[in-house]
Amino acid sequence: MSDTIGPSGLTWHVAEDDLRAYVRGELAPPMLWSADTHLVSCERCRAVLAEVSDPVSLDEGWERLDAELDAPRAGFLESLLVRCGVADHTARLLAATPVLRLSWLGAVVAVLVMTVAAAHTVPTMSSPSLFLALAPLLPLAGVALSYGPALDPTYEMAVVAPLHGFRLLLIRTVAVLAIGLGLNGVATLALPSYGLRALAWLLPALALTATGLALTPRLGPVLAPGLVAGVWVAVLVIAEARTEGTLAPYTVAGQGVAAVVAAFAIGLLYLGRDRFDSTSAHTPFAGFQDGGAA
Amino acid sequence: MTDLPTPPTVSAAGLTLHYGSTAALDDVSLRLGAGVTGLLGPNGAGKTTLLRVMATAVPADRGAFTVLGHDPSTTAGRQNVRRALGYLPQTPGFHPDFTAFAFVDYVAILKEMTDRAARHREVRRVLDAVDLGDVRGKRIRRLSGGMRQRVALAAALVGDPGFLVLDEPTVGLDPEQRMRFRELIATAGEGRTVLLSTHQTEDVAMLCHRVIVMAAGRVRFEGTPAELTARAEGRVWSSTERDPGARAGWRTGTGAFRNVGDPPEGATLVEPTLEDGYLLTLDATSAAASGVTS
Repeated sequence: MSDTIGPSGLTWHVAEDDLRAYVRGELAPPMLWSADTHLVSCERCRAVLAEVSDPVSLDEGWERLDAELDAPRAGFLESLLVRCGVADHTARLLAATPVLRLSWLGAVVAVLVMTVAAAHTVPTMSSPSLFLALAPLLPLAGVALSYGPALDPTYEMAVVAPLHGFRLLLIRTVAVLAIGLGLNGVATLALPSYGLRALAWLLPALALTATGLALTPRLGPVLAPGLVAGVWVAVLVIAEARTEGTLAPYTVAGQGVAAVVAAFAIGLLYLGRDRFDSTSAHTPFAGFQDGGAA
Repeated sequence: MTDLPTPPTVSAAGLTLHYGSTAALDDVSLRLGAGVTGLLGPNGAGKTTLLRVMATAVPADRGAFTVLGHDPSTTAGRQNVRRALGYLPQTPGFHPDFTAFAFVDYVAILKEMTDRAARHREVRRVLDAVDLGDVRGKRIRRLSGGMRQRVALAAALVGDPGFLVLDEPTVGLDPEQRMRFRELIATAGEGRTVLLSTHQTEDVAMLCHRVIVMAAGRVRFEGTPAELTARAEGRVWSSTERDPGARAGWRTGTGAFRNVGDPPEGATLVEPTLEDGYLLTLDATSAAASGVTS
């Protein structure tokens, strides 16, 4: 884009190369949005656009502009994702992810702040046990709540859509994992005195999340992650009772086991991917009624 | 019963689905042609289960069906069925913070429409088709029940599907909204196959060229509305008191009683309606189930 002040008072104009890309339909958001908005009020750029366009593609451009102006503005999360380079259709799929809401993210941050604070107030411990126990559960819960009939009000429509259910699941899982692991990582930075031991949540988090997902088609979206979380807590309780010092899951051997479980669960998940493409006959579907999402 | 228009666009044979020991669908076979086919039946008849199976949301235990030549028992066939499908569930779920436009756009993305400009044109087209063009920027939580139902219909119409499955779309609407919705369904039924589940015989009388009556998971009648009405020919009579021998009787607006069943000698026979034929079909079903002959 070039910065000049024209008679209309505009301080910039769309670069000719961008206008050519616009005509070809190759200009991507958010630059596309800027060009759309600008062209409405800038006679000079419209004139340049006419010069670089053939009549047919110019008509297509105006039609596209018309459609763009007609579309309501995207929400905060969606706009942010697009500005970060996520394709606009993927951003909308993510914006419809129940768990990617401020209320959920706020709850995760609150839990992490409390556990980090607890680690600081009990400085005699050899590792931040509460944090390491809890951190793997947050991505597991986040992913479990991002897809399924209980929380996604449009689940029934999504299941019968041509977009493969496993693909939708993966898109949402990657987004939730990225945010969940990112928040965990930030929390880890607040525990510098523990060094690399504070990162011992990472492999268990991947193992728990992948196992929860792999079991979901067989046990359902509530029982599967619930069972996995229960097993994790049981392992920690047993390890606590039997071990002095570092708990077994956070030792080198324990981390190795977590890596193997994660790899096995990811393989199992891939093999069972088609089972995310339909639902059980007994599935109760969530729906939006007056007053909020069911 | 009359023969179906040939060739059938949708056909099913021997569809069976059990919830535990209860047969929600019991050997259901049917054939649908272009136009609106009404699916009538009391609560628990298996209508919603049949629609979920036909929409590929849940698999049947046994039996097979094809939609526009595609067999959903294979992964590729199921994708093709879903590409040809528009589905309005019984309780359509919404993301309440989405605008009408964003929600229909989201469903369009689920239907694999990734080109932003083309998708937005299609969203605008279907919202205009259901008369919601003026409120496309409004959040769904601010729309009335009738408007939300029309948003769901618009979402079902995205991509111009050849097979439309509508599960009780007129439930909860006031009479004026119901009439408007019937007009929309009638328009949507032009040139495509529509399967419409409903409790309301008026819906069938006004919209459908064929009707299927289900009870206890089985098809009890398949034919034209006129043929269903003809089942009550000579079996509806008027009287000043409720006839204790009637299968069903109710006081009409004139103060006289309308009786349905086996009329006594000398009864004043009246013209039957579709509802009379439906009641007698259900009555024959329950009588057969209890071993009583009518």
